[in-house]
Amino acid sequence: MKNTAVKIATILLMITLLFGCLDGRELSELEIVIGIGIDSADDPDSIKLTAQVVNVSQLGLSGSGGDPDSKPYWNAATTGTTIFEAIRQITHKTGNRLFVPHCEVVIYSKDVAKQGLYKHLDFFLRAIEMRLTSFILIAEGKAGEVLDAKPQTEELPAVNIYNLVKSYGFTSHLYDVTLKEFSSRLISEATAPVAPLIKVVQEGENKDVQVMGLAVFKEDKMIDELNMDETRGLLWVINEVKSGVLIVPTPEESGVAVFEIETAKGKVKPEITDDGKIIMHIDIKLQANLSEQTTAEKLARPEIFEKLQDNMSEVVVQEIMSAYEKSSKTGSDIFGFGDMIHKKYNKKWHEQLEEDWEEIYKTIEFDIKVDSKITKTNLLKNPVTQKLGG
Amino acid sequence: MFGYLTRKINYYFLKAANDKANFRTNTGSATPVSIIAEPIDKDLSKNIENVKNVMSNSCDLAVHEFCFGYNRKHTGALIYISSLTDRGEIHKHVLNPLMYDSLMLKNNETENMFDIEDIGRSLLSITEYSVIIQLKELIEKLLSGSSILLVHGSTKALAINTIKVETRGVQEPDTESVVRGPREGFNENIKTNISLIRRKLKDPALCIEEMTIGELSNTKVAIVYLKTLANPKIVDEVRKRLSRIKIDAILESGYIEEFIEDAPYSIFSTVSNSEKPDKVASKLLEGRVAILVDGTPFVLMVPMIFAESFQSSEDYYSRPFLSSILRILRIIAFFLSILGPALYVALTVFHQELIPTQLLISVAAGHEKVPFPAILEALLMLIVFDILREAGVRLPSAIGQTISIVGALVLGQAAVEAGLISPIMVIVVATTAISSFAVTPQTDSSTVLRYFYLFLAGIAGGFGVMMGMLITLMHLASLRSFGVPYLWPVAPLNFSALKDVFIRAPIWKMDKRPSALKWDVDLQRQSRNLRPSPEKQEQ
Amino acid sequence: MNVERGKINVTQLFFCVTGFVEGSVLLVNFAVDMTKSQTWMAVLASIAVAIPVIYSYVALATRFPGLNVIQINDIVYGPILGKLISLYYIFFFALTFSFNNRDIGELYKIFIMPDAPMIFFLAAFAVTCAYAVHKGLEPLARVSHIIVAISFTVMLLIFLLLIDIMDFSNFLPLFDVPLISFIHSVHVITAIPFCESIAFLMIFGSLDKTEKAAKYVIWGLISGGFILLNVAVRNTAVLGNTVTIWTSTSFESTRLIDIGTVLTRMDLWIGVIQTILIFFKASLLLYALATSVAQILGLKSYLPILLPLTAIEVILSATVYQSPVDHAMTTQNAGIFYSTPLLYFTPAITLLIAVIRKLPKSKRRKRS
Repeated sequence: MKNTAVKIATILLMITLLFGCLDGRELSELEIVIGIGIDSADDPDSIKLTAQVVNVSQLGLSGSGGDPDSKPYWNAATTGTTIFEAIRQITHKTGNRLFVPHCEVVIYSKDVAKQGLYKHLDFFLRAIEMRLTSFILIAEGKAGEVLDAKPQTEELPAVNIYNLVKSYGFTSHLYDVTLKEFSSRLISEATAPVAPLIKVVQEGENKDVQVMGLAVFKEDKMIDELNMDETRGLLWVINEVKSGVLIVPTPEESGVAVFEIETAKGKVKPEITDDGKIIMHIDIKLQANLSEQTTAEKLARPEIFEKLQDNMSEVVVQEIMSAYEKSSKTGSDIFGFGDMIHKKYNKKWHEQLEEDWEEIYKTIEFDIKVDSKITKTNLLKNPVTQKLGG
Repeated sequence: MFGYLTRKINYYFLKAANDKANFRTNTGSATPVSIIAEPIDKDLSKNIENVKNVMSNSCDLAVHEFCFGYNRKHTGALIYISSLTDRGEIHKHVLNPLMYDSLMLKNNETENMFDIEDIGRSLLSITEYSVIIQLKELIEKLLSGSSILLVHGSTKALAINTIKVETRGVQEPDTESVVRGPREGFNENIKTNISLIRRKLKDPALCIEEMTIGELSNTKVAIVYLKTLANPKIVDEVRKRLSRIKIDAILESGYIEEFIEDAPYSIFSTVSNSEKPDKVASKLLEGRVAILVDGTPFVLMVPMIFAESFQSSEDYYSRPFLSSILRILRIIAFFLSILGPALYVALTVFHQELIPTQLLISVAAGHEKVPFPAILEALLMLIVFDILREAGVRLPSAIGQTISIVGALVLGQAAVEAGLISPIMVIVVATTAISSFAVTPQTDSSTVLRYFYLFLAGIAGGFGVMMGMLITLMHLASLRSFGVPYLWPVAPLNFSALKDVFIRAPIWKMDKRPSALKWDVDLQRQSRNLRPSPEKQEQ
Repeated sequence: MNVERGKINVTQLFFCVTGFVEGSVLLVNFAVDMTKSQTWMAVLASIAVAIPVIYSYVALATRFPGLNVIQINDIVYGPILGKLISLYYIFFFALTFSFNNRDIGELYKIFIMPDAPMIFFLAAFAVTCAYAVHKGLEPLARVSHIIVAISFTVMLLIFLLLIDIMDFSNFLPLFDVPLISFIHSVHVITAIPFCESIAFLMIFGSLDKTEKAAKYVIWGLISGGFILLNVAVRNTAVLGNTVTIWTSTSFESTRLIDIGTVLTRMDLWIGVIQTILIFFKASLLLYALATSVAQILGLKSYLPILLPLTAIEVILSATVYQSPVDHAMTTQNAGIFYSTPLLYFTPAITLLIAVIRKLPKSKRRKRS
């Protein structure tokens, strides 16, 4: 019996020694990629890929002691016909394979997005090491430039972009679209993919990046853009509004009251009436607090609150409708109404709607209920200017 | 040339044969078997001659010949080993009564002075003596510190216990010091040690069986157990395993441990030890058997279960909350101490994607200038650490501290600054080192496992570590200590005993003895419902 | 004479069955191809189908207490036909062990260490299983509840961490799957996680109380099935319509955990518990294989043939499939032909013949 144990131990030892170290990669051999940008190249068949590689030794030194000119990152760029080819091409520059699991953002330039993203997306989903939680973005100009705009507080542009998208909730003017979300929308027969837009803004000497609005896709081709308000209109419906600022006209139209959204909940119920009309019942519950006002009148009164709440609801409805109108022009179902109907009216969907959903989408009717509540007025009961107003 | 070679070879063969022969004769002459087997002779001088012969005229062998009795007509001899005996006691209680008090006896009363038992009964004022008739016995007694009284004309001798033992007092043990709890610890004297246990358990059921092991050392070994609680099968097994030990000498209980272990090739020890009487008493109360060995403060206890490694006697003296947290911490520390470097290597070499981005970047920044692969780096650090520990332990405490400061601070700091070792590696190894001291009973197994897992991690990363863990788990599950599964009560599962494994339940809750050691005894060790509560108001 | 002398109790059997069923958690994937977001229904249906089938195994074992299936076959069918049927069992054990070994290889090759040679994982894992089997049935049974407890905890934890991003409308529309795919899917789930516990026919003989086994086996099956259900529900709720595109849905869904950017990369834990669970299952299978071969060869102990068998299994698992695609296709389709008669019918027929021939009577009298 002991004999067998010794044999097994020997075999184990032999197996391990026989293969030696398997596929270990020492840390110093890693080229940690934290962001990837994809631009169109001069040759229409190929793309230009920019990988942001962390320059580990410079990190944390740029402020003190280190060479002020050297950046803590390195944007290695190359061209290739496909993503994977390009990524392997980069090894001619880096000497090591790129290490992509920590890639947090994937940025496509607008012209690539317009030609269709599918062929440039497959690698990121298939690669073992990629994270599905990486964000996907569309750059107004060149993706490479976006990755090169050095932020003032962060050291790494890609990390900065990641944080910008991650904190979309402060305004709800864009949406954090992960690779998973994007592919999920891409697979769906009805729902149109979206992705946040990013652009470089020249501020004096500095180049800053700014994210706002969404790019709308039809299948895998970008066809449209949503501005900030339209984006929030979309977010209300898909229940992704986290917080944000609502500017609401006061009842006497003398100025505006500014609200901070505290909680927002959106629910959609599709209905197909007997005569074949499609009605989407959208029910939004909203709580906000008064953060600022530009008028002198005392708003903190129940009757004015009531009116303000009505106005607020009106603003939300407008945002939703503007998003719908924009999307109905191109017939891209950004809200995912089609899937909702599919889930509820499975049979009818397959029989009547699936085929030309794009056209039917344009004829949807809405029944929007917004239930807004003002919950607090923060530190002030009355405005400081109340006396002037009398 | 060949002639030279053959001559050389012949020479060595002859030499080896000669050496063998010499060796045999040497051992043969050391203890003349023929003399030793003889009974004690009537002739006093012959007896003395024999003893001197057997003892090879050792310089500390004292032979005091004297006359005593009425008119000093009897001759006798007192033989003792001066280095082992208490001379004051001999003078006061043996020589004084014999040489002076016996003078006052009348003639006819000294007729039966040849009857050695009578001397013991009527003359000696010492409590412990025994009558011996064999020379072999005489030598044994002599060597264990007795004085031998021989009287001319008697075939018997008296062995009088006049032993003087050089021993420490009962001190606080270094290895198991406590903040709260008894400070006493065993010392090197088996008598003292037994008395310490007796004092804890004043019960007639406390059995102490003594046996002698070791052909040359004749070490006293005692099996201690509570007759009412210990499983007789386990006691029998202990007796059986002890009695088959045939060895020159037992110098420490570690010798015994290696002879009675269930799994001698396992890195896990299946016999526990302690130098604290309270701990031994508590184990006896759970039905275990203790083995005391003369000459060492370390008492062995069987059967041992793995969970005992995480228990400390202090757990039961302080309140349950802190004790429970400490238990969990010890378990975490054990895992840290065996897995620390292995996980570091597996993560940084094979699974970098599992490290959060920011952490990976800072780890990579620290590793940037290090010329070694991570596995070598870890191995270096671990070896240096083990050397430091070894050096520190053997040195006087003042120098030991210097070593650890030089080692830890200067060396660690310098190595990092020189770019030989990455700072994270220092943190990992330091944490591992500290953790390994939190679970002292498993120090040897955790040291071996640490290198084992590091080796596996270096070769196959997480897969290697997983396989190593599974093998360790299966090995632990298959171990038994004197019939008790080593992982009990975790595997096989015993719910009621789990309250003393990961946590330490309040003592009034643990009202059952561990059932793994059970036979047909009542497991209830205290009455139920002892939870303190306010007195009920009678109405 | 039975080759195993160790005894296990019914509670340990319960945990063994649970752990064994859980060992196939990753393979729910095979069913996802057919039933998409309705996989949870297929899991429920397979539990219902599996209960009577597995009850037939237990009933057979309780009729012949203390005997393993090879001995039972000899008694029921006589020495020659019995040996032939026993060979069918051995063939099944051998193939199933190699599939499980292959699963581990693919798990590591695809998800964790893509650059390492597959044969390394196969060999190292098989040898580890051999070590466990070498220690005997008792240690394996003794750790079964630890393995089940760990996997339960991890599964529950992952479920809780993912509850935030679950969208239960992903299950809609219900009944969107053609009936034939549904049945196909139910068959795959019934056969792989549940009915592979036919290996327990080599283990039931080592029970201390065979009479009570049925209850514990069925509960073990249900609790293991509960974990499968949990996984199927989790994956669909998290991944939604993308559930069909991934090689491994469990991995992809846990990869989505991102709480405070600290609790990320939880797919590590899927890897860990998968390894432990498949280790447990494969060890039991290897045990069944080794004991059955030893029994049929009339050996006193299975230890001498353990290592040769392991070596054969490594070669078998290295060559049995070319790629995961091959693996999935074979399991989904060819599996029907080689395993279905054994899993669904053979034990039941054996039981029937035993009842007709009133067989275990003499045996039982001898034992009592």
